[in-house]
Amino acid sequence: MKDELKKKVIVSYDVPEDKRRTKIHKILKSYGQWVQYSVFECQLTETQYAKLRSRLHKLIKPDTDSIRFYFLCACCFDKIERIGGEQPRDESIFFA
Amino acid sequence: MGTVYISQEDAFIGKIDERLSVKFDKKIILDVPLIKIEGVVVLGRATVSPAVISELLERSIPLTFLTENGRYLGRIEPEVTKNIFVRKAQWQAAGESPQAIHVVQGFVRGKLKNYRQILTRRQRESSDIDLSKKITQLEQAIAPIDTTHNINSLRGLEGAGSAAYFGCFNQLIRNAEFQFSHRLRRPPTDPVNSLLSFGYSLLRHDVQGAINIVGFDPYLGYLHCDRYGRPSLALDLMEEFRPLVVDAVVLSTLNKQLLTPADFITEPLSGAVSLTPEGRKTFLRLYAQKKQSEFKHPVMGRKCTYQEAFELQARLLAKYLMGETEKYPPLVLK
Repeated sequence: MKDELKKKVIVSYDVPEDKRRTKIHKILKSYGQWVQYSVFECQLTETQYAKLRSRLHKLIKPDTDSIRFYFLCACCFDKIERIGGEQPRDESIFFA
Repeated sequence: MGTVYISQEDAFIGKIDERLSVKFDKKIILDVPLIKIEGVVVLGRATVSPAVISELLERSIPLTFLTENGRYLGRIEPEVTKNIFVRKAQWQAAGESPQAIHVVQGFVRGKLKNYRQILTRRQRESSDIDLSKKITQLEQAIAPIDTTHNINSLRGLEGAGSAAYFGCFNQLIRNAEFQFSHRLRRPPTDPVNSLLSFGYSLLRHDVQGAINIVGFDPYLGYLHCDRYGRPSLALDLMEEFRPLVVDAVVLSTLNKQLLTPADFITEPLSGAVSLTPEGRKTFLRLYAQKKQSEFKHPVMGRKCTYQEAFELQARLLAKYLMGETEKYPPLVLK
């Protein structure tokens, strides 16, 4: 699937309970890149996004927790400025 | 989307949540979301957990096993697609049929024209070497392709062309530390042959993946005859990509001196030459970069990467065999 067709999503979450927060963190790691505490950058297809949202939705307690999905257009996503911290990972090849 | 190469000996490949995690020595050395993966290649020995195998099959991600020197061992891949029409057309064209002859002409023409392209470019760049004799030989092999309607004779033309090309391959290498005399396989006993063999193994993983996506039976080929367990169609479709992808990477690696003789080791008994783990990493990265590099596809008229071109060519082949197009156009780049 070409990258242009993917949704660019910034996901941030605020969850007071440690255990649940760890779980959310683990799920999000399967869908995108961890860039800061409680912030992920993801590039997802419609299906992947729907799946992620439903997994998170099942997990959280809506009265105490909150998760936000910010969508960026492809050209805005390219314009993100980053000073320090995690740089976007090279996704064309992985080595071990 | 990328390919995962696991060259750490005795690594454990497991699954955490929806991620592939590679462990070695009780430490996680790689952790990648499965949605970012389109192929997994294991070089050497590794343990793959049962959960990973079923997850990869479920997601249609092929898993290929190569020896640590890059010799192809085999692969685990999902069920071939249910597109019976492609396979039917493929089988109907088997043997010495007009379609088979046409596509074999295409594969051979593609490969030899790309060979010629490499030689003429080298000739242009430096006037101190003379490749004109070899280029003429190549042209003599290319010229009769369209009027040859016999697969065995076409194989002969391919052989003659390849012999001319490899006969002057050494002059394409601008690095005094590496020499090439002739093509050697099983095992390659010099660094250049070892790089070529390794590159062709990697290419085969990619081309076979593309063939499967399109719905072909990889074991029925036209240029390569049937042999037990040989994915002949993948080898057929590889021909035009050999010079474009592998030879180009090998030459630029050597000419830019990205590898040195210290990156190779020789096995004392057989004389087989292979890359050191560090050298292998360097080469894998260069190969992956090449695969992701863009060019303008002459038939489709738009930009695409070599990775996409593998699938595009397979689709063009399917269209031709199913009678939707008049011709199969091999990928020839200027």
